[in-house]
Amino acid sequence: MDFRWDLVWQSMPLLLEGAWLTIRLTSVSVFFGILIGTAAGMARIAKGPQRYAAAAYIDFMRGTPLLVQIFLIYYGIPPLIDRPIPAYLAALLALSLNSGAYVAEIVRAGIQSIDKGQREAAQSLGLSTWDTMRFVILPQAFRRIVPPLGNEFIALLKDSSLVSVIALEELVRKAQIIIGRTFRPFELWLAVAIVFLIMTISISRLVNAVEKRLKVVE
Amino acid sequence: MDYIIEVKDLTKEFGGVHALKGISTQVETGEVVVVIGPSGSGKSTFLRCLNYLEVPTTGVIRFQGEPIIPNSNLQRIRSEMGMVFQRFHLFPHMKVMDNVTLGPLRSLGQNKAEASQRALELLAKVGLSDKAQSYPDQLSGGQQQRVAIARALAMRPKVMLFDEPTSALDPEMIGEVLEVMKALAKEGMTMVVVTHEMGFAKEVGDRVLFMDEGLLVEENTPAALFGNPENPRTQSFLSKIL
Repeated sequence: MDFRWDLVWQSMPLLLEGAWLTIRLTSVSVFFGILIGTAAGMARIAKGPQRYAAAAYIDFMRGTPLLVQIFLIYYGIPPLIDRPIPAYLAALLALSLNSGAYVAEIVRAGIQSIDKGQREAAQSLGLSTWDTMRFVILPQAFRRIVPPLGNEFIALLKDSSLVSVIALEELVRKAQIIIGRTFRPFELWLAVAIVFLIMTISISRLVNAVEKRLKVVE
Repeated sequence: MDYIIEVKDLTKEFGGVHALKGISTQVETGEVVVVIGPSGSGKSTFLRCLNYLEVPTTGVIRFQGEPIIPNSNLQRIRSEMGMVFQRFHLFPHMKVMDNVTLGPLRSLGQNKAEASQRALELLAKVGLSDKAQSYPDQLSGGQQQRVAIARALAMRPKVMLFDEPTSALDPEMIGEVLEVMKALAKEGMTMVVVTHEMGFAKEVGDRVLFMDEGLLVEENTPAALFGNPENPRTQSFLSKIL
C-alpha cells in the first residue's frame, strides 16, 4: 500500500484549523489554570480552613480522569442548571480546573522551596503577609516554576485532545472527520502526530527562552 | 527607667526541647547589649523571640511598654525593630536599591523619591554607594551584610537586632561589618547583638549577657563579665574561648 502524501497536504488546512483551536483552548486554559493554581497553591499552605478546600479540589482533579471531568461538566451539569453548556465553554472549564490542580501543586512546591529566611527578612521589615508573598516570595517562586509550568503546558496541550469527545473540532476531531471521508487513518494520524510534535517542541523552546531570560539556569 | 524592650519569663519549646527556660531582662534606650554563649545555648532563639520570628511558648515581650500581640500590633512593632541575619537574607531578585527601599515603600508608605534618597544616604554610610544597581549575588558576603544593615536602617528603627551577623563571613570580611556596627553604636543606636566576636563585645557593648542551656546565666558590663566572671559556667566558657 502506498503512502498518500497528497492526502496529508490536502488535509493540512483543516488540521491546522483544528490545531489553532487546540492552541487557543490550551493557552486560555493554562492562563486560567495558573490563576486558579496560584490561588489554590497558596490556600493549600495557608493556616486557615481554606487549606482543606484547596486540598479537596486538588485531590479530586488529580485523582479522577480528565475524560470523566469533561463528561461531568458537559453532560452532568446541564440538567442541574436546566440549560446546556456550550462545548467550548465546557472544555475550557474542564481543562482550566484540571490544569489548576496540577499548577497548584507546582506553585505550592515553588513557594515552599524559597528559603524561610526570605519570609523572615520581609516580615522583619514590617511587610504584611500579602506584601511578603507579592514582592518577595512569589517573584522568586515563579522563576523556579517556569520549567514545571512549561511541562504542564505541554501535558495539557496533549490532554486537550480528549475534548474531541464532546465534538469540539480541535486537531484530533478534525482528523477523525477527515478519516471518515477518506478512510486513510495512517496518513492522517501520522500528520496529527507531527502537528502535535511541532507544537510541543515549539512550546518547549519558548519555555527555554523564558528560562534564560529569567536566569533560572545558573 | 526608660526600657525600650522588656522581656518577662520568656520560654520557648520546640517539640519537647526547652530552648529557653525562663528569661527576664530589659534593654534601655541607647544601650548596646551583646549576647554571648555556646552554640545551642538559646541566644539566637532569644533574639528571634524579641520580634516574634519565633513565637514564645510563654512569657511577654514589651516594646516601648506595649506587649507584642500577633495579628494586632506585631507588624507595626516589627517595622520599628531592624533585624540583621546571619545569612543576610537579601532579596536575590531585587537590585540593592530595591532591597533597601522595599520596606519604606510598603511598610512606611514613603514615596519613591524619598525612599531612594534615603537608600543612597544609607548605602554611602555603609560604603556601598556604587552598588545600588547591583544584584546581591554580585556582591561579596561582607558587602551583602552591609546592604542588609542598610536595608534594616532604612526603616528608621528604634532598635537593631543582630543575629550572629559575622558568623557566615570569610574572616577578611568580618572587620568591615563590625566597623559599620561600631559606627552605629557610636551614633547612639540601641542594639541587641548575638555574636561570637568577643572583641566587639568588649569594645562596644554596654552590657553583656551570657546564656547557657536556655538560661540567662550572668549579665554584667563587659569589663566585669570578661574580667571577673562570677558564675562557674561563665568562667568555663570564657576560659575556652579567650
